[in-house]
Amino acid sequence: MRLTRYAVVALLVGIMALAQQASAAPSGPPVRIGSTLALTGPLAATGQVHKLVGDIYVEQLNARNGLLGRPVEWIVKDDQSKQDLARTLYEQLITVDKVDLLLGPYATGNILAAMAVAQRYNKMLIHHTFGIPSLATYDMQFPAWSLGPDPATTFPNTVLDALAASPKPPKTIAVVTSKFPSVQFVAMGAREVAKKRGLKEVLFLDWEFGNREFGPIAARIKDANPDFVWVGAIGLEGNQLLEAMKKIDYMPAEQFYMYPAPGPMVKAPEAKNALAATIFEEHAPFLNNPGAAEFVKTFNERAAKAGLADTAVETQAAASYTAWQILEAAVTATRSLDDKVLAQWLKTHTVDTIQGKLRFNGPSNYGDDLMRVKQVQNGRWVVVWPPEAAAPGAKLMVQ
Amino acid sequence: MNLPSPTLLAQAILSGIFVGALYGLLGLGLSLSWGLLRQINLSHFALAFLGAYLSYQLATVGGVDPLVTLLVIAPLFFVLGAAIHGLLSRFAVTPLNSLLVTFGLTVIIESVIQWYWTADYRRLASRYADITFRAGPLFVPLPELMTFLLSVSLCVAVWATLRYTDLGKAIRAAAEDAPIAAAFGVNQRTLAALLSGVCAALAGAAGVCLALTYTLTPSQLYAWIGVVFAAVMIGGLGSALGPLFAGIVIGVSEAITMALTAPSWAPLVSFSLLIVVLLVRPGRA
Amino acid sequence: MHVVGLFAAVAIALAAVPFFGLPAFYETFLYLVFHWIVLATSWNILSGYSGYFSFGQGAFFGLGVYATATLAAHYRWPFLATLPMAAAAAAGLGLALGTVVFRVKQVRGELFALLTLAVTFVLATVILNTSIDGGPGVYLSAVSLPAIGRTPASTFYLLELGLAVATLAIAWWIARSRLGTGLFAIHDDEDVAEVLGVPTFRCKQVAFAIGCALAGAAGGIHALFVSYVTVAETFSITVPLTVVLMSVLGGTRHWAGPAVGAAVITIISYASTTGDHVLAGKAAVGVILIAVILFMPEGILGTLRPGRTRSKRQQGEVPQAVVPAGPGDQDFPRPAIQSSTTGARVLSLREVSKAFAGIKALDRVTLDVYRGEILGLLGPNGSGKSTLINVVSGYYSADAGSIVFDGQSIERWPPHRVARIGLARTYQIPRPFAHSSVLDNVVLTAMFGAPALSRRDALIEARRWLDFTGLASKANALPAELNLHQRKFLEFSRALASRPQLLLLDEVLSGLTPTEIDSAVGLIRRIRDQGTTIVLVEHLMRAVIALADRIAVLDQGSLIAEGMPDDVMAQAAVKAAYLGTAANVAG
Repeated sequence: MRLTRYAVVALLVGIMALAQQASAAPSGPPVRIGSTLALTGPLAATGQVHKLVGDIYVEQLNARNGLLGRPVEWIVKDDQSKQDLARTLYEQLITVDKVDLLLGPYATGNILAAMAVAQRYNKMLIHHTFGIPSLATYDMQFPAWSLGPDPATTFPNTVLDALAASPKPPKTIAVVTSKFPSVQFVAMGAREVAKKRGLKEVLFLDWEFGNREFGPIAARIKDANPDFVWVGAIGLEGNQLLEAMKKIDYMPAEQFYMYPAPGPMVKAPEAKNALAATIFEEHAPFLNNPGAAEFVKTFNERAAKAGLADTAVETQAAASYTAWQILEAAVTATRSLDDKVLAQWLKTHTVDTIQGKLRFNGPSNYGDDLMRVKQVQNGRWVVVWPPEAAAPGAKLMVQ
Repeated sequence: MNLPSPTLLAQAILSGIFVGALYGLLGLGLSLSWGLLRQINLSHFALAFLGAYLSYQLATVGGVDPLVTLLVIAPLFFVLGAAIHGLLSRFAVTPLNSLLVTFGLTVIIESVIQWYWTADYRRLASRYADITFRAGPLFVPLPELMTFLLSVSLCVAVWATLRYTDLGKAIRAAAEDAPIAAAFGVNQRTLAALLSGVCAALAGAAGVCLALTYTLTPSQLYAWIGVVFAAVMIGGLGSALGPLFAGIVIGVSEAITMALTAPSWAPLVSFSLLIVVLLVRPGRA
Repeated sequence: MHVVGLFAAVAIALAAVPFFGLPAFYETFLYLVFHWIVLATSWNILSGYSGYFSFGQGAFFGLGVYATATLAAHYRWPFLATLPMAAAAAAGLGLALGTVVFRVKQVRGELFALLTLAVTFVLATVILNTSIDGGPGVYLSAVSLPAIGRTPASTFYLLELGLAVATLAIAWWIARSRLGTGLFAIHDDEDVAEVLGVPTFRCKQVAFAIGCALAGAAGGIHALFVSYVTVAETFSITVPLTVVLMSVLGGTRHWAGPAVGAAVITIISYASTTGDHVLAGKAAVGVILIAVILFMPEGILGTLRPGRTRSKRQQGEVPQAVVPAGPGDQDFPRPAIQSSTTGARVLSLREVSKAFAGIKALDRVTLDVYRGEILGLLGPNGSGKSTLINVVSGYYSADAGSIVFDGQSIERWPPHRVARIGLARTYQIPRPFAHSSVLDNVVLTAMFGAPALSRRDALIEARRWLDFTGLASKANALPAELNLHQRKFLEFSRALASRPQLLLLDEVLSGLTPTEIDSAVGLIRRIRDQGTTIVLVEHLMRAVIALADRIAVLDQGSLIAEGMPDDVMAQAAVKAAYLGTAANVAG
């Protein structure tokens, strides 16, 4: 008995020692930028993409002489996908670590928590993928994901424009959505827009985020048999629904997925011709944007090295990179680290990013709706709409 | 609310049966260790996910058929389960504390999975995935059918073993009254380790089924806890067929709700069902 | 007393933290610690003390979150005004749930845990699908925070500190109060607690309501703290799981245990948020948790508490006796309630029947017990003796017939009410409260029995009865440290401390050695001599003949004889029932 106890203690001490050794902190050079990311917990799949992008950007930044000639240190903490922890960590970054500048965390809830802290301390907050513009009421927050101020109206119109220009414009629509805040409100907008545009809604339903069982939902879509399905899906939900539909041998003529996990979807054969939202894909014209080609190459390599299953750059990685570009542009132009000076500059200037030109002078500091419609074609994502963003020669395909 | 077509309803019920069979398979090992060993093994879910990832790894990298990976995973997990039991029994952990120890274990296993496979999504591409049978207007996908058959045969096998073999009788005797059983020559420690190993191997089998039908990400393991616990409680602790039966009842009732009304109401049905069962027939568990 | 002083000093020192000009982060971090202290401690009031493990803390916390979010964001209530409503909503849900669940005897342990978890999911589904949330979440940016502290961080800190201090004070007070004594007894053996006079249903309800109200208030504050609330986040399984972990880690039988656990877990989980190796940190949390549970199975405070070793240390000492005791000493307290004179009927059963699954355990039994007598109740195994005791004490309700005790019809009363008016029983196989000391076992009945003493008076009373039964030297031992004879005497002490008018002794002599039997017989005589009426259910003929004034005999649920010992024993039917010679004597 005693021997076992000692053995267990020794083992535990050993593991702890390893853990400790592994987490030695680097010392801090001058310009310090603080963020939290969901490195563990349910949002970690995307959090790790932002971590990778940040590491790449800081490396590149320091290789070209940092910010204002000073090296850049990125302090990133793990908010464990929890809002209350994100809030507390931002408070730590501001009041204890006394970072110079902030970058946002991942996912709408955590960004809102961080935004409230930033507001309290008059810090500028640039964030990557915030889904509900109307909730961004702080005037020194800047979105790197250019959704426009009213994506619930503008984006469904983009999608339906794309379909209207296709060889088979849909006459009936089914709207099915997860009750996940940032996809649900766009789905509700899509219902309105479709109604205004004269599409007949043959089915609407919603499910709880975290639902495991998509068989009955697929069966109901099959039963309604619409020309076009708008799927308010986030993460794996898109794949789950696609698989469920495949199992009952059904594929809608045209289908759109809001924010699917891009890797799993593009690899699924049943996702042929599925549409989704994006702001960046790995082809022209996006690759012609300054810095895009180099970033894509580096990211592909680093993601492969980090063991990610999906190494492609799309919305999340691009928005993350954009956030850093916005920050660098503002600091370089103003030669300042003062949050107010930077925020003022951003409100009156446009920034060249790998997404395109971003402006921040609309409601909630949002500018244009740069959301694009992409499609799975021959096992890869290709932007098909609007025409000026489409891959060379790419057209929307229908069954 | 429009009444759904009979085909839609039947297809929904079928998919409820399939997902219910998976609840039952996940619940089987949990129910046995809870009812017969008095260990509430939360790490059962982590083990199932570890099994799923191992199956993914062997199938994707090693090119092994997912069903064949079961032959590797089951013995491996058997040893793992016996080892966990060794730890719990060495320290005479109470049922409640076993919940906490195995929660610690869950966190460790989750970290290991994320460290090795990252938090990115993993999908096992098997040759079974694309096969679907037709039965009249209904569709029966092969991976689900395999899960169902594996679940039913394992549950029945465990049930028959417990009921009809000397080994099973000894295990049940030891669970009911350890000192008396010991007096009749039952070696309770060996039996308990054996049973714990079997439970872990069952978790591994459930993991292979998970890999066959679901895309994996580490934190997903927590998503199954609520509903599988419900199946185990409704089915009765220590019962082999109970969780399968209860799992199918839950799966079907949720599927019917989803077919008839807003799918987001589905959890209300299954968990209200659980509440009613607990209040009306508390003796079941 | 020093605990109170220390506690107050720490609370005051913490209240001064905002004035030291520390970075706001420390206040926010401490807010999180206090937040978990409130959730864990409020959970512990029912679940830790009484053993009704709830997995529903997420529901009560979440209801508080949404009460505040709805009232403040939709109805524009001032934030502070929403907090009492958050507490009330959660307490209301707890009471409603308790009203249903606590009446079902079998819903204990894991079943209660699962039931409360299911309620959480049901509540989450309802909120998600109705206008309370509907899916988009509730954003509280427009809700203004009252300026209690100089900064928002200070305000949240002070609010949560106040709630944490209140929660701990309540938990501390309950642990020492009548309610807490009842809850701890429920934890060890709820049926016995009820029979000994603990109003178990009310105890659980009150504890549940208090715990839920505190969790609801914490939810209300937290809603504004995170400022954007969603169903998925609020009702996630993390809350109930974390709360249980924290409480068990710290020790559930100690008022401060959950707080210690909450502080430890919040700090170590926070420690793994920085650095490049968060996964290693997370794994380390798991390792620490396993290590603590394995080496401190009763939790940190449960293991470190000095009280744990005290019982062993003091075993040899003889506590000072309040009343000098010895055989033949007549100076004992009288039963608390004595409304009739000796010789009157104290208990009357008329045509009492009770059946289980169709088998008649009691068949129209009519029996009187007279004040001051010892009535021997005889009968072979399965004749209905134990059922009779259980029916009289209210544990089983009779199917038919009337039971009048001390002039009151008690056949529909819950057991604790019967105990209150002076009816006590012992168990054939002693059922002491395993986690309480011998002294505390006896204190309980003095508090909940007929005299309904305060804890302080009950202590004096309990020591008196321990002296009476000769267990004084074992006062601080745990029941497990006693031998069978001593445990039987503990049953006596426990019953006597409730100052019963009528004492039902269920086979107290079985399993004892002849010497021990002699001392028990002496004890029973002394109990009667100080005025208590006794019904002696016994197998051992010799002892019954020696003790009983009258004898009644049960066979197959029917009363077949009643009268003076010699007369009854001479009856053929009795002989037949006992010796099994005639096939069916009762006819």
